[in-house]
Amino acid sequence: MSAGALSAPRRAGDLVARLDELLGRPVSMRSLALLRLLAGPAVLLHLEPFLSDALDGRVYSDAFYEPYAAWYPELPEAVYVALLWLAAATAIAMSLGVLTRLATGTTFAIVAYNLFLSTTHFHNNRAYLVIVLGLLAVAPCERELSVDAWLRRRQRRSPLDLRAPAWPLWLLRFECSVVYAASGLSKLVDPDWFGGTVTWQRVTRARGELEAWPLPDWAVSAVTDRGFHTGAAKLIVLTELFIAAGLWFRPTRYAAVWVAVVFHVTIEASAAVQVFSYLAIAVLLVWAVPSTRDRVLRIDPSAASQRRLAAVVRTLDWLARFRVEPAAAGSPVEVVDRDGTSVRGRPAVALALSRLPLTAWFTLPTLLIPAVRRAR
Amino acid sequence: MARRLVVLAVVLLQLVLVARGYRADHKEFAFQMFPESSTWRASVVRVTADGRRVPVGVPWSGYRWDALVRDRGLSYPAVRHHADAGLENQLAFLRAALDWVADNTPRDRETRYLEAIVTAWHNADAPTREVLRSHVRERKG
Repeated sequence: MSAGALSAPRRAGDLVARLDELLGRPVSMRSLALLRLLAGPAVLLHLEPFLSDALDGRVYSDAFYEPYAAWYPELPEAVYVALLWLAAATAIAMSLGVLTRLATGTTFAIVAYNLFLSTTHFHNNRAYLVIVLGLLAVAPCERELSVDAWLRRRQRRSPLDLRAPAWPLWLLRFECSVVYAASGLSKLVDPDWFGGTVTWQRVTRARGELEAWPLPDWAVSAVTDRGFHTGAAKLIVLTELFIAAGLWFRPTRYAAVWVAVVFHVTIEASAAVQVFSYLAIAVLLVWAVPSTRDRVLRIDPSAASQRRLAAVVRTLDWLARFRVEPAAAGSPVEVVDRDGTSVRGRPAVALALSRLPLTAWFTLPTLLIPAVRRAR
Repeated sequence: MARRLVVLAVVLLQLVLVARGYRADHKEFAFQMFPESSTWRASVVRVTADGRRVPVGVPWSGYRWDALVRDRGLSYPAVRHHADAGLENQLAFLRAALDWVADNTPRDRETRYLEAIVTAWHNADAPTREVLRSHVRERKG
């Protein structure tokens, strides 16, 4: 047997071992805990039309619906409506972190059950919601940002490890990337889409609505021009594919997140996509490096502006990126990054704000300013 | 081991569903967003036992089409609509809706089947016509 034939199984074995290590490595569940908190409102928004119909005495089976399978269990109307209300209650409990594992699992089960009741219930945003809830249900993300954790602290019980095996996080990252990749790829391989026909027709048919917007005539003419869409469609497709790929690599991750937010805000402004925009932006949190308190923000407590910055960071640091420490009087603001790099002054402020979920989108571009780049 | 299998199974299943989306009418978990600019409209009629063709826009036996078919843009088929999730998806829903109405209108004792004459515009292509029919209803009583 040749040396090459012997080394091939060893390489495969190494690969499997690396995969196992990656999936089993304990990482911070903070981003999933925050996503769990944000997923509750998405579930409520998703359930709203079903609950509204139920209040009016209507359920799905009163009108055309199409079961996926004859064997799929359909409940009596009263039980079905009770389940919907239960899902609304458990979604709130899930967000607050009350009996979190049970609440998240129940929310997932009911939302998934409802989705698969009828082909007419299916929409991409609902499918994405089910995926997110399913992965939150299996991830131990109840150990922080939850009433459960608060009660545990109050009862002076030993704190639980905030880290857990990384596999739910990896799966959610995969699903997040697939949403953009699948959408982009389907458009890339469709000549009508990539050539601009689809967007051009959609926009020209909505010209009446477009003219109602406060847009100058030249802008309306430009976006309804066929030539414009030859380029715009390609930009849309490449944007989706860039987000799908860019999220996986550190040098492009922040750019991909930034572009994704713009992308979703644009979609939300131009189309009715139910909970998709909100959910997709929330899921971007899972791309944060899964470790906490590994950056240091040093402030001079005697300087009011630095105290304010510290207060902002403490309030908005939902992903627990920073430890805030006092520095000697007269020191400029300093951020020590996780690789030990130290940044001072305004670049440090920009860097700190660019790592907070709420301010990141606004401040990330400032990191491209030459002075800030040089400081890093 | 179990962890690895679960992850690989989910990844594989997701990829299969994405691939399936290129063939299936209903593209569950394929995430093909805003796939077409296609539009459609349909003249939907009830064909009665004595051969009359009655538009479903006219209420019958206490039924109204727009109350029976409320979802997926099917309530007013005579009006030209965008096919939100693509033409094949839209027509699959219309086909299923014809069957559902045929099955769920027990007070109607005169309709044999429902028929939709569909005019469809796939993106910028020339319009095509297609006839969809529900199954033939069983005569009761």
